[in-house]
Amino acid sequence: MVRVPPHERLVLDNGATLILLPRREVPLIGAQVLLRGGSAADPPARSGVASLVAALLEKGAGARDAYAFAETVEGAGGSFSAVAGPEAIAVRSRFLARDQDLMLELLGATLRAPQLAAEEFEQLRVRQIEFIKAAKDSEPAELLDAYGRALLFAGHPYAQPVHGSERSLAQVTHQDAREYYCAQFGADRLIVVLAGDLDMPRAEAAVRDALASWPRAAVRAALPPARTLAQRRVLLVDAPGAAQSHFWIGAAGVERKYPRRAALDLVNTLFGGRFTSLLNAELRIKSGLSYGARSSFMRGTVAGEFAIRSFVATASTARAIRLAQQALERLHRDGVSEQMLASARAYTLGQYALGLETAADWAGALADLEFFRLGVEDIDDYPARLAEVDPTLAAAVIAETFPRPENSTLVVIGDAERIGAQLAEFGPIMSMRLTDPDFVPGATGDEARP
Amino acid sequence: MQACTLANGMQVIVWPVHHIPNIALNLWVRAGSRNERPGITGLAHFFEHMMFNGTQTRAPGEFDRLMEAQGGANNAFTSDDVTVYEDWFPSSALEMVLELEADRVAHLAFAPEMIESERGVVASERRLRVEDNNHGLLAERVQAEAFTVHPYRFPTIGWPQDIRAWRLEDLQAFYRTYYAPNNLTLTLAGDLDPDAAFRLAQRYFEPIAAQAPPAPVNEREPPQLGERRVTVRRKVQTPLLQCAYKAPSATDERASAVHLLMSVLMEGNASRLHRTLVEEQRLAIEVGGHWQEGFDPGLLWLSLTLPQSTDPQQALVALDAALARLIDSGVSPAELERARNLAIVGFWKRLATIDGKAHLLGEYAVFHDRWADLFAEPQRLAAVTPQQVQAVAADILAPQRRTVGMLVPLGARSRPER
Repeated sequence: MVRVPPHERLVLDNGATLILLPRREVPLIGAQVLLRGGSAADPPARSGVASLVAALLEKGAGARDAYAFAETVEGAGGSFSAVAGPEAIAVRSRFLARDQDLMLELLGATLRAPQLAAEEFEQLRVRQIEFIKAAKDSEPAELLDAYGRALLFAGHPYAQPVHGSERSLAQVTHQDAREYYCAQFGADRLIVVLAGDLDMPRAEAAVRDALASWPRAAVRAALPPARTLAQRRVLLVDAPGAAQSHFWIGAAGVERKYPRRAALDLVNTLFGGRFTSLLNAELRIKSGLSYGARSSFMRGTVAGEFAIRSFVATASTARAIRLAQQALERLHRDGVSEQMLASARAYTLGQYALGLETAADWAGALADLEFFRLGVEDIDDYPARLAEVDPTLAAAVIAETFPRPENSTLVVIGDAERIGAQLAEFGPIMSMRLTDPDFVPGATGDEARP
Repeated sequence: MQACTLANGMQVIVWPVHHIPNIALNLWVRAGSRNERPGITGLAHFFEHMMFNGTQTRAPGEFDRLMEAQGGANNAFTSDDVTVYEDWFPSSALEMVLELEADRVAHLAFAPEMIESERGVVASERRLRVEDNNHGLLAERVQAEAFTVHPYRFPTIGWPQDIRAWRLEDLQAFYRTYYAPNNLTLTLAGDLDPDAAFRLAQRYFEPIAAQAPPAPVNEREPPQLGERRVTVRRKVQTPLLQCAYKAPSATDERASAVHLLMSVLMEGNASRLHRTLVEEQRLAIEVGGHWQEGFDPGLLWLSLTLPQSTDPQQALVALDAALARLIDSGVSPAELERARNLAIVGFWKRLATIDGKAHLLGEYAVFHDRWADLFAEPQRLAAVTPQQVQAVAADILAPQRRTVGMLVPLGARSRPER
């Protein structure tokens, strides 16, 4: 039985939350830190600022410049990384238990005294643009979400590419990064989870020392309610010569606090969450069209997307999309049986403990609960919630959360010359080039082409 | 940890740990693309796929359906040297999982329609990893150039014409030869009782008859006497540079020094190549690499992703200068200490999960024949001296024993060698 292990939780006077969780299987300690804000707090037309600020956290803090910081971390065998997400900047760190003081010193310095050096900013900005180009060359699937979300959440912060676009990154300045730090960093935004082979009293004292006097952030973190399109749209991103097409079928999904999460998880497990899912059965097992097809929900403070993702040989693009859409239609029409639910329940329970195995796993899970202001029952009672799901509840969840194909947004990255005509059956097509510097058609001045 | 060898020669190793109610299983098969020949390249990998496609008593897909319905998940991978099947499941499912694994080792079916369908899946995987992935594409060509005799020249996923062409008889022969119990190692880590696990392994695997050992891979790559080059031209924005150096096998006594050398060169932001090529000279946006630790001497790879319009030749000159400094002046004690500490944290990180434990047991048992010795890894790392790292650098990182791959955007010119 998986239960949240004993841990300490305290909230400092300035609003910072600290959670300490001892686990002594191996002589390691880890930190998972969340700072509310993330790319949702990027200024308009300046997407990528939060991502660059996060990257800058590794590039010098306190008296240590970027190289000294890296030498200190790695010299002890440690790791330290900071990454922006849509709603938070996450800092993760891992050290040998003997280096607890050092880890906490570095963490404090990073949050309160990052150097945010102009030269480092410039390097990171230029490199980030290059990473997007490299992904377009070799891993275009990594960019599907950026294209899909831009269409689906137009006008909402979730529409902004978390790590920026080539165009936005060309405009972001060092001043933007400094202003982001001044406005968006502060104690009341902060969740610190320390887990592992900890010296608990010493860890608590060190965190208090480092952070108790940190002021609150200048502004409040807030996210407008989701705005999404409930209409069919088709975006074709042209990758001339591509041997395969990557596709994404998305629509508005649910928020993290969606009350029927257990039923949703079981249904998605059956639809596109495991190897024998309906989706993978159609696209891989029965047809041999694709190496794989999955579906998932991005669940934030407000509803993120439900999305199907797969890839297929250029010539079979429309056939594969049709099969995915038919699977979705069948889910609505047939629902799921008690027998299917029993299998999904056993699978979900059987894999549950594997995701909550290490100190780092627990640090991530507790930070997530704290971030969404959920109690430990979210984890402890999950098996009981799974047990309650029956076909009727599942049907209600399907109707409520899984889109109909006709209300979904379709994004395809592939060779337009060879698949353009195939895609006409899915609706009026907007097109752009993979090399365009944005993730939105028309933003480059090109008109959307039918 | 305990081990036993079944009467048919199959090795079973278990590691009981009870922090979660799950078990991780690894089934290591001593067969990879190294065991192929021209015309059947990719067969070991294809076989990995076919192992999920039905047995004489179970229909295609039944393996996954049964396992998932009991709470288990699985995966598998193939390399130049081995094929490894991995299952993660609640401990209550141990008997069923062992029965399923034994069934597919003993009674695999080769339904012609499944063979055809799976060719399509592998073709999709190849498009994903190679044809539409420049890193994979360039690496495939470099590897094919680096070896002239040894089967390490074959891409594990196979050449496209071979994927289309192998026949039922090829699959059956491969199965008989390499999926014999005496060619397998089973490792289990997690919530189990060793004696009960051995009894179950005996019940399900011991009835499978041993086979004559596979023919040894006798090909020996002749010494490389000069640098080789591969250029791939494509419509891309990002140039790539890969250098593949001839390197020792996994059992080489200098293995720990090679690991530490790799770490000194490219692990983390303070590593030599990251600092020099990415941060200071800005000739790369990313530096990576790995040592192909196999049964036979393989390759040590250094891979650079370059910024748009950077000449790979210029990056190569800078890389060579950085390597020459290391070979000439060696590594500092602080650099070595950094690499050692990173390796020790990496070691503990792997030991923190039942998956990591099952995998480590398999790796040590199959490649080193000394699974029980895995806890000596920290001591082995501690014993490496700066001089030993310098010596392996000088020995391995010699331009005349490398193959250089450049991926150049169509239309771009690579300047002549300086």
